[in-house]
Amino acid sequence: MHIDKRRLYHLDWYLILNGLTLLAIGMMNLVSATRSIDSGPYNLLLKQMVALCVGVAILFLILSYDYRLIASYSRHFYWGTLFFVVFVLIIGTIAGGAKRWLTIAGIAFQPSELMKPVMVLMLANMLFQRKKENEPLNMKDILVPLLYIFVPCILILKQPDLGTAVVILLSCFCMLWFVGLTKPTYFFLGFVGVSSVPVLWTFLMKPYQKMRILSLVNPELDPAGYGYHSIQAKIAVGSGGLFGKGYLNGTQHKLHFIPEHHTDFIFTVFGEEWGFIGSIVLFLLFISFIYRCLKISQSTAEPLGSTISFGIASIIFIQFTVNILMAINLAPVVGIPLPFISYGGSSLISSLIGVALLLNVNMRRYMF
Amino acid sequence: MHVRQQSTAHEKKYKWCEWILVITMIVLFMRLFDLQILRGEEMKRLSEQNRVRVKKILAPRGTIFDKTGKILANTRPSFNLYLIPEDIKDFSQTVDGLVQLLGIDREEIIEKLKDARDFPSSFAVKIESDMSMDQVAKAEANKFYLPGVVIQIEPKRNYPYNTMLSHVLGYVSEVGGEELKTAEYKNYSMGDTIGKFGLERMYEKYLRGVDGEKRVEVDASGKEVRVLDTKEPVSGNSLYLNIDMDVQTTVEQALEGKKGGAVIADPRTGGVLALVSHPAFDPNQLTSGSREYWKSIATDPSHPLQNRVTQGRFPPGSTFKPLVALAALEKGAVNENTAFGCGGHFGFGGHVFKCWQKRGHGSVSLHKGIVQSCDVYFYNTGLKTGVDSIHEMAVRIGVTKPTGVDLPGEKSGLVPSTEWKKRTFGEKWYEGETVSVAIGQGAVWLTPIGLMQLASFVGNEGVTFKPRIVNRIVSPEGKVIMKFEPVMGANVKLDKHNITLVKEAMKGVVNEAGGTAYSNARLDNVSISGKTGSAQSGSGGADHAWFIAFAPSDTPSVAMGILVEHGLHGASAAAPIAKAVARTMFKVPDKEIKSAALNAH
Repeated sequence: MHIDKRRLYHLDWYLILNGLTLLAIGMMNLVSATRSIDSGPYNLLLKQMVALCVGVAILFLILSYDYRLIASYSRHFYWGTLFFVVFVLIIGTIAGGAKRWLTIAGIAFQPSELMKPVMVLMLANMLFQRKKENEPLNMKDILVPLLYIFVPCILILKQPDLGTAVVILLSCFCMLWFVGLTKPTYFFLGFVGVSSVPVLWTFLMKPYQKMRILSLVNPELDPAGYGYHSIQAKIAVGSGGLFGKGYLNGTQHKLHFIPEHHTDFIFTVFGEEWGFIGSIVLFLLFISFIYRCLKISQSTAEPLGSTISFGIASIIFIQFTVNILMAINLAPVVGIPLPFISYGGSSLISSLIGVALLLNVNMRRYMF
Repeated sequence: MHVRQQSTAHEKKYKWCEWILVITMIVLFMRLFDLQILRGEEMKRLSEQNRVRVKKILAPRGTIFDKTGKILANTRPSFNLYLIPEDIKDFSQTVDGLVQLLGIDREEIIEKLKDARDFPSSFAVKIESDMSMDQVAKAEANKFYLPGVVIQIEPKRNYPYNTMLSHVLGYVSEVGGEELKTAEYKNYSMGDTIGKFGLERMYEKYLRGVDGEKRVEVDASGKEVRVLDTKEPVSGNSLYLNIDMDVQTTVEQALEGKKGGAVIADPRTGGVLALVSHPAFDPNQLTSGSREYWKSIATDPSHPLQNRVTQGRFPPGSTFKPLVALAALEKGAVNENTAFGCGGHFGFGGHVFKCWQKRGHGSVSLHKGIVQSCDVYFYNTGLKTGVDSIHEMAVRIGVTKPTGVDLPGEKSGLVPSTEWKKRTFGEKWYEGETVSVAIGQGAVWLTPIGLMQLASFVGNEGVTFKPRIVNRIVSPEGKVIMKFEPVMGANVKLDKHNITLVKEAMKGVVNEAGGTAYSNARLDNVSISGKTGSAQSGSGGADHAWFIAFAPSDTPSVAMGILVEHGLHGASAAAPIAKAVARTMFKVPDKEIKSAALNAH
């Protein structure tokens, strides 16, 4: 592995510092969030540290190759990841009623998480190949890419992991929008999207998923059942007040009032302990990080790199927004982790791969 | 050219993205501001409620002792089963589990949960009190399958003497929903124990301790995580009674299986030594909240819950005669020498009034009239005295009012007057009625405790003290909080000669040959004074048997009012009880026999 010294000079240190700050906050918050977990307080923290090390190693590996070279192998990554996604459906480890994990040698791994950056690479590569100069893409151009998008999404929905499927789908559409489509294509996609809502509602969505959406509208509908998480999460965040209850002093999560408080509902822990001021600071860090991602995309003249960066930025933005909105009861409860903050090795590694791609694009943007 | 076009299109999209970021930030800011700043306090309160539960630690009720320090009522640990509605995961699993496991009535559980529906769902509802060890073991073993079920060890009231003294002690039970709405119980909450009867009720505020509190942090499943702070309960105050269990036991045994009531008191202080009302009830069972037992007690036609001594009003019969005699003497209607001839009957207003002694008493003066209880003497005397003078004397002695004993619900006696009849029936008084009143029949209704006071009055020569059961109240630290000094009830200025006449006559009843209680109440060592009575019960059936007494005759230290319902003759049914009491109290005969026997060897 060799990285040219000039390339290192072009590393985006702003993004790195911003990302490290988020990671540090995430680790610190995880200490509080996992203190009450029965399997030993530092067990999960240790696992997260291991994942971080693996993620950083992969990050350096990615940095050492030109992103265009990596993108040219995107098809291999895609099929490889898809294989694991299918594999999970067959022999995956069941946790919380869903088959999401693949356990190899005692290490549980979530292939669907890996699908996020792989999908970005794959789609960027495909669209870039099809793109003729500055013509927007038409229906025919995106037919095959759509197929490549939907197959993993449907498989992931089968696990079921609605959250990841939603993130992949939304980020792919962001990329399509970024690359540009013809007007009829937008209309067609819009029409299909709107008309599929009732179909999804009646045939595909599970009752608990419907209840989650209904209880968003009115959590008091079923305060002990599906509305329970939302209400308790709201109470946790709200009870933080202006300054918060103080680090390690949160009670809601410690006493198990909030399920999944170390993964999807991680923000409730932070909001309760750090209050309004801490939360706003955290949000600003995320917004500035995403803004920086967009800036990388913007400053890269090379369209493939620009599209990849935009795709990664959209993934982080979607995950951040939906996760926080869910925690403060403005979005239905879906399992989407908060990047850098939530517990989960696969999610952390996936985010780091995204960051690696961004840095890769940025340090090679003056290449031609 | 192309390159520039593409970049302008993208520049626009980046601008869009920037706006989206700004809008997202604004939305999040507003929502957080609403949740954490505007509604922060409310959310804080909700989160506190979530995690903090206040658990009551029941304070043990004060102990009740008799005068010698025997425990009459105390508290013992018991296992009670509670349901916390909030923690019930699956209603039918928990409830049916309890029904099957412990054999609790399903309807009863639902009823109790319904009663508590106005309370927060984290409030524990008591389902079963004083569980057996078998039930506790079963419930504990299956706790995992019964979410929401909590078993608490709590103090339970215990009455070691069971039915004995039950009317005095009373019982405790859970405060009812209706009672909670009254001002008297405004400081109580659902599930609290209150004294329902007797001393438990009368001295509720002293006996009741101050419940402690334990603030505990609970997790989402209601499990106790840690105790935040504890306020220790303060035990209730103890009562030391004037009751002497030796005397009480004597009377209880004497009245065993009979209906009636008896009260024994010290006329010098008013201290009640024994108070028995039969049939009695078992306060332990009522305290346990057994519905069947309550039902059987409440529907029993012999009214075991009535305290016959303070709440039962009966015609006093001949025990009323000392009062009539005093009224007559004080009015000057008769003197000690005034004599009437008794031929066994007395005609008045076309009616024939009989003397109990069919063959008659011959010439009867006041002393003989009382000693032999001659009805004809009192018909004449009563008529000469007039009902209003008898009434006036009754008022002065105090038998027309509640005696003021420290038990709840005492009834007052009734001695009629012309004014009373006019007020009540709007009719004038007939002289013929006075004839009945003179022998304690007609509209004369007195309680056994009222008649005991009559005996005290004569024994004390015009003075009574309010009967009092509790001697002193002692704090858990052993400090005397309240000591009840004797309170004078009646203090009537009487002609010394007159009261002595009556007092001597009552002595004669027991101690003179021919006295009505001579063969049944006389003791060699102690001189008892008394008066027998047999009163028509009005409700048909055999006459009520009465005996009122005081002893020793000259300076009495004990006064008694004894009633055996349908006991027929006061002399044979009631007087022996007085004799037994005197024997116990003065402890002379047994001792003498023993020492005599020892000396012989």
